[in-house]
Amino acid sequence: MEGGSTVTFFRRLTAQWGERYRKMSIQMVLSLSFTAVAAAGILLMGVSLIWRFSSASEQMVAENSQRMLAQANMNLDSYLRRMMRIADTVYYRVIKNTDLAEGSYTDALGLLYEENRDDLVSLAVFDSQGTAVSAVPLTTLKAEARPEENEWFQAAWNNMENLHFSSPHVQNIFDDPDSPYRWVVSLSHHVELTRDGVTEGGVLLVDMGFSGIEQVCRDVTPARGGYLYLIDGDGELIYHPRQQLIYAGLLEENNRVAASYRDGSHVEKFQGQSRQVTVKTVGYTGWKLVGVAPADSWWASSSQLFLFGLSLLCFATFLMAFLNFLISARISDPIRRLERSVKELESGLDVEIEEGGCYEVQRLGHAIRSMVSTMRHLMDDIIQQEGQKRRSELEVLQAQINPHFLYNTLDSVIWMTEAGQQAEAIQMVTSLARFFRISLSKGKNIIPLSDELEHARHYMNIQQIRFKNRFTTRIEAREGTEELYTLKLIVQPILENAIYHGMAGAEDDGAISVSAYREGDDLLIDVADNGIGMPPEVAESLLDPDRPQVRTGGSGTGVRNVHQRIRLTFGAGYGLTIFSEPDEGTLVRIRLPALTREEAARCQQGEVL
Amino acid sequence: MKKNNVVEIAILSVLGALVVLTLVIPQLLRERSESRLLALSVLLRDTDSTGLAVARQGMEQAADELGAELRFLTLTVRNDGREQAELLRREAEGGADALIALPADPQSLQEALDKLPRPLVTLEVPVQGGTGTVSPDNEAVGRLLARALLEDWDGGLILLLDSSGFCPEAALRLKGAFDALAQAEGEVPVLVLDYGYWDSLRGARWVMAFEPGATLQAAEWKQAEGETFALYGVGSSTAVTAQLEKGNIAAIAAWSDYAAGYLAVQQAVRAVGERPENLEPLPFSIVRGEDIYAPENQKLLFPVMSSSGR
Repeated sequence: MEGGSTVTFFRRLTAQWGERYRKMSIQMVLSLSFTAVAAAGILLMGVSLIWRFSSASEQMVAENSQRMLAQANMNLDSYLRRMMRIADTVYYRVIKNTDLAEGSYTDALGLLYEENRDDLVSLAVFDSQGTAVSAVPLTTLKAEARPEENEWFQAAWNNMENLHFSSPHVQNIFDDPDSPYRWVVSLSHHVELTRDGVTEGGVLLVDMGFSGIEQVCRDVTPARGGYLYLIDGDGELIYHPRQQLIYAGLLEENNRVAASYRDGSHVEKFQGQSRQVTVKTVGYTGWKLVGVAPADSWWASSSQLFLFGLSLLCFATFLMAFLNFLISARISDPIRRLERSVKELESGLDVEIEEGGCYEVQRLGHAIRSMVSTMRHLMDDIIQQEGQKRRSELEVLQAQINPHFLYNTLDSVIWMTEAGQQAEAIQMVTSLARFFRISLSKGKNIIPLSDELEHARHYMNIQQIRFKNRFTTRIEAREGTEELYTLKLIVQPILENAIYHGMAGAEDDGAISVSAYREGDDLLIDVADNGIGMPPEVAESLLDPDRPQVRTGGSGTGVRNVHQRIRLTFGAGYGLTIFSEPDEGTLVRIRLPALTREEAARCQQGEVL
Repeated sequence: MKKNNVVEIAILSVLGALVVLTLVIPQLLRERSESRLLALSVLLRDTDSTGLAVARQGMEQAADELGAELRFLTLTVRNDGREQAELLRREAEGGADALIALPADPQSLQEALDKLPRPLVTLEVPVQGGTGTVSPDNEAVGRLLARALLEDWDGGLILLLDSSGFCPEAALRLKGAFDALAQAEGEVPVLVLDYGYWDSLRGARWVMAFEPGATLQAAEWKQAEGETFALYGVGSSTAVTAQLEKGNIAAIAAWSDYAAGYLAVQQAVRAVGERPENLEPLPFSIVRGEDIYAPENQKLLFPVMSSSGR
């Protein structure tokens, strides 16, 4: 359960951070990402450096310890050899050359002692029973002294060939009124005494002062926090800089374990502290010099080194963060300014798009600026086109209520009424009413094709009455066009043109036809007359927008207006085409998209098809 | 100010503060490690410091390791509590950071300490208001010493030398011994004698002394007078040890004076730093004459005298 809730918690946390990251600004993403990556890199590098430094330091400490121990070993060896030379001198120069029946060792021992009194505590020769044969400077044994029971005596006696070095001990056999208890290291050696020409066994004792060994060890200065101590083969302390603290039980040393180490450097953990221990065996004696270097003296995580490393890390991260913030600001600020400009643009303000920042951002600004400029031009064009469209429509509407046309029509109605042609007058008035009603079409631009043809039919009715049937009219919608829609008031201006220009010279044989039919996705409306026609180049020029507007005797609105309105509404693919030959007539073909009801409605709402 | 800018400034401020902190901390640590030597005054109750030679070695070792400077002050008259209190006052006024005392009169020291509070560590005897006492469990010392005597006891009067008049800690040891003897099986005749009446020891078979001076004097008197009583005493000085070896003392209760001196200085330094610790009683051993050269007893009784004079 607990594991599940932990997983849920982390998932939620991850989701929250993911959400926060997604909402974060580009500047923050850049800054934090670069800073995090830089910090991680620096951290890795720092750890790597510290680790390498630690290894190198450890190696260096080991080498220093080994050098130090080699030096101490050399000094100690030299000291011990001097003691051994003294023992040899006593044996080979004094004991071997002296018959106890004839003389004594005391004077010779006294001389040797005086020469080496800084290092020696006593020199003595004992016979096999432990009786002192000769001793300097202390000559008297304690009453209760039993030299033969001492470890140094027995070691020498049991191992006749070799010199024997004891562990440090209090020399307690001599009666010393000044300093009864002195710590010594005893060098003992089995010797052959000559008494009255007969040789007998004995033991030579050379008590070395503790200070001599101490001095040898103290002369070597270990690295900071380190120290050196000396143990015998069993690990018993011979010298330690804090020996008395250890003896008093206030301090512990790992000497017993160190006795088991082979020569070289070892890392051990003692009393919770890691330290490097270097061991060097002193030749002949089996003693071991032990150099101790606490881990703090080489380990990279020592507080000073750690803090220094941390300081460098923080400083590098600080610099990286500072640079990252600057760079990210340089990248993001121009983008932010662009965004602000675009927002202002959206709200309709006239703003200048700035082209600043880095190259890419400059290019982006330039592109947006170009886009805005293009957009403005397009908008201007649209406004202009819309204005043109409105003007054209207005012109068409004005054409419908052309006062001249209205006057003539009403005049014809009056004339027919006065002439008693009641039926014709009624038909004319009716057609005029229907004509105007379809012209208005509740303000719609797109109307059913049938209404547009109805509109043309009423117009032709009026004109036929006025022109006393000098021409015939045929208006038809072929199959497939019943449900189609068209732009309104596009046929009437062409019919007007056909009447006023095409039928100008007609007698009773004029014919005007309107035919609507479908061709693929297009709706075609042909308006043809058999009038006087015109040269093809004139017909072509009629649609030229640069051609000056010519007022005609008709309604005053030309085919060019119709052509422009169609193109403005449906595009350049649509409009009028005029086919004409002189004396043969004219055919004006209107091309429109075949609009269904739905498409007409969308078109009415301003959508582009 | 924008939110992003606030975050950036906060991050830069934290990093900047870390840089400064990591640069300043080593400097502070160095300054702390280079702090001045502490001045510690050691007030003795004798006219010289020979009786404290080994303890002094321990004190000097601790002073060397812990960064302290020691001033040893002796009295013009042995065990003069008033003079010792005056010395305490003078040292406290003179700027001693802490004091270590072997009290001659705990009451006088306490009164002086009340007037001029300073960290005070005592040896052997506690003083009210002090920072701690470095001492074995004195009653236990007397008790175990009495038990050692009882192991040898085959009848006869046991004389207890009362030297508490000039050595306050002896009173507790005597009490411990007295209680142990009183609780022993069978009837053990005990007599408490004031220190100094040596003639009272003539013909005695069992004698107990409870401080090093009394022990040594009793042993020397015994040797000089040819007496044969078995003496059980206290102390680990060379002179006492020599008497133990000679057989003039049957057994002694001994502890490391070196450790006592070291711990006293260590506690005083801790007290200056306002972090004193509770001091455990010093461990002690009962050493008989025949065991004097056992390796552990050698280390206890015969300090390694350093040639460096540390």
